[in-house]
Amino acid sequence: MRKGQAINLQLIAALQYARGLLPLLLGLAIWQAFGPEKSPYFPPPSAWLDSIVFLARNGKLWPALAATVTTFAAGTGLACAIGFSLGLLIGRSRPLRRALGPLLEFCRGLPPPVLVPVAVLLLGYAESLKLLVVVWVSIWPVLLNTSMAIGQLDELLIDVSRTFHFNAVTTLRKIVAPAVVPAFLLGVRIAIPLAIIITLLVEMLTSVPGIGSLIVTSQRQFRPAEVYGLLVLVGILGLAVNAIFTSLERAVLKRWPPTLQ
Amino acid sequence: MELSRGFRRILESVALDVFRGEFLTIVGGSGTGKTSLLRLLGGLTPASAGDIRFRGRPVNGPPEGVVVVFQDYSRALLQWRTVAANVALGLEGRLGTAALKERVERALEMVGLQHCAGDQPWQLSGGMQQRVQIARALALQPDVLMMDEPFGALDAMTKATMQDELLRVHERTGTSFVFITHDIEEAVYLGDRVVVLGGSPGRIHTTVSIGLPRPRDQITTRQSPEFLQHRLDIHAAVRESAGGDAHF
Amino acid sequence: MRTSKFNIPGLVTILVLLAGWEVLVRSGAAKFDYLPAPSGILLASGSLIVSGELFSQALHTVESILIGWTVAAAIGIGLGLALGLSPLLRRWSLASFEVLRPLPAIAFLPLALLLFNFSLTTELVLMIYASVWPVFINTMGGVMGVTSRLYDVSRTLRLSRMQTLVKVIVPAAAPAIVTGCRLSMGLTLVMAIVAEMIANPHGLGYAVISELQAMQPQRMFAYVLFIGMLSIALNAGLLWVSRHILRSHRWAHADHA
Repeated sequence: MRKGQAINLQLIAALQYARGLLPLLLGLAIWQAFGPEKSPYFPPPSAWLDSIVFLARNGKLWPALAATVTTFAAGTGLACAIGFSLGLLIGRSRPLRRALGPLLEFCRGLPPPVLVPVAVLLLGYAESLKLLVVVWVSIWPVLLNTSMAIGQLDELLIDVSRTFHFNAVTTLRKIVAPAVVPAFLLGVRIAIPLAIIITLLVEMLTSVPGIGSLIVTSQRQFRPAEVYGLLVLVGILGLAVNAIFTSLERAVLKRWPPTLQ
Repeated sequence: MELSRGFRRILESVALDVFRGEFLTIVGGSGTGKTSLLRLLGGLTPASAGDIRFRGRPVNGPPEGVVVVFQDYSRALLQWRTVAANVALGLEGRLGTAALKERVERALEMVGLQHCAGDQPWQLSGGMQQRVQIARALALQPDVLMMDEPFGALDAMTKATMQDELLRVHERTGTSFVFITHDIEEAVYLGDRVVVLGGSPGRIHTTVSIGLPRPRDQITTRQSPEFLQHRLDIHAAVRESAGGDAHF
Repeated sequence: MRTSKFNIPGLVTILVLLAGWEVLVRSGAAKFDYLPAPSGILLASGSLIVSGELFSQALHTVESILIGWTVAAAIGIGLGLALGLSPLLRRWSLASFEVLRPLPAIAFLPLALLLFNFSLTTELVLMIYASVWPVFINTMGGVMGVTSRLYDVSRTLRLSRMQTLVKVIVPAAAPAIVTGCRLSMGLTLVMAIVAEMIANPHGLGYAVISELQAMQPQRMFAYVLFIGMLSIALNAGLLWVSRHILRSHRWAHADHA
């Protein structure tokens, strides 16, 4: 199949998929046409856009966005690094996994919102609070996935490392760590939306600077168009993060065999 | 009749009659359209050209009195229902409780599974699961039973047992059978007539009448000179129909 | 080395941790002024139970969760069946759903507050919106995943459309549907707590916040502990129910060739 043909087919597939957007677009169009400009509950989409532009102009939008994104990125990064390392350590030792098992499961199962007041109590309303809570919540999927993958590591690979007389560090570096990358990435995939949600949650609960507190402020000041606008912004942010992660994941996993679901 | 799918023609100029009470087997290599032919006859796929008639009436969807039995028995059975409930599937809503129960029992008896009625399909072996599917079809007391390589996934010994069971059912009920297989010996052993399907697009190459006496026996029938001659003839026919590159 | 069925090392770890925590707080070595000792938390829990406060707050939360979860399950299954069974419907609406799906429900909290004020409605709307998604997606996936072989079977046995739906499609999709309902329970709980913390001053979530503001760490931790236990209980309960419902599905999917 020539390249031109392949691209045409992709285009057709994309257009066919886009047909499903009809209800959404129709809904928005009707809203736009019939939504009263100054409605306290249902301002039209054009008003949303205006309000966002306004926020950007008066300097409120970018700092908030920056705060949210930095916390999210830093939190996810830390959670990945710590989760991966701890997962490796714990996973290698069956007795350790058994001993820590119930504790880890309990920590994972604690509803995240509950942790925010606990953190506030212990740390006060500090900036570090946000980061800490995000890291705490996001660590578990990464840690548990990594640790479980190590536990299920093919014994054959260990035999291979012994045959080559690898020491512990080299084994870890060359054999164990790469073998668990797919599982690790799966854990990260779960952790990312979690991190976004918790970042927003902490901002909403504690009014620490960020998009979350911005939305709450808009709600308190009865500016509905802003609330809707920021909502859409959050959606776009989520989509962007997802797209970036997916392409990163694809690049990294190119050399691994396709996993069967 | 003819069958085309997209840009590919699968079957061409197929003219076939199935007679009441006969055991018709259809052989061919892979890719000759055997399964498609069965689906056409069973009313599961519409023909692109030509027509199919059952008892004089055109076939538009699965006709009353014709039931298809599939090769992948584990996917064709409702794994969450008991064996008895599976056999009852086609009868529910059509028969009263007492009549239904009786039909199910008789069908299970015919395949020798009356003691498994309360088991779940996944607890049974492959051969037994396939028998459940056959019992399910038999419970409807069909005029024609279409079978798509039903013993293809079974080991040789189970296959032999199942072949004889099928012949017994055929004798007892007088149901017509249309049986697809790639196993030439099986086709000769079971059939009154053997249709050789070949080529791509598939067409009927030959039809051979099997003159072997019934009841047939795994050992004596298969050693008889007539059997061996039929086997040779059909083998040659299959190879010829594939035009030299038969994948056997 | 024989490992007993009961996880002793696990239990020991937790006990050691609790003991260490107690010692840390009593000795004043930790620099957290407000960290209560486990003994204090236990005492506070006792008094909350006896006074009946725990019960009344818990009742509110549990009631909202049950209502929200049931409604979400009904909507999710309905939508999932509709879109799972009808390619036409899917073609003309799935993309719209997929655009909405990644939006975290929590982002809707201020909107819900705006529309419904501080009320039970806000809590319910938020819970239901969040919990519909797992049920919907899983149901749709389950229905679409029904092997075409089963459709062949229902056609050759000449089952009516209703019979096919009830006897073949729904049971075949049941494991996926049940999983979706289980997943949504976790979300329902989380959203209930969040809503109670911000938007509806009743229930366990609200209790945690109000004890925080009243500077009562022991009582606050007691509520936190209870929320954790509620989460475990709900999940375990649902797991048990789902195993029971799916008992005839046990090996079915493991055996497929």
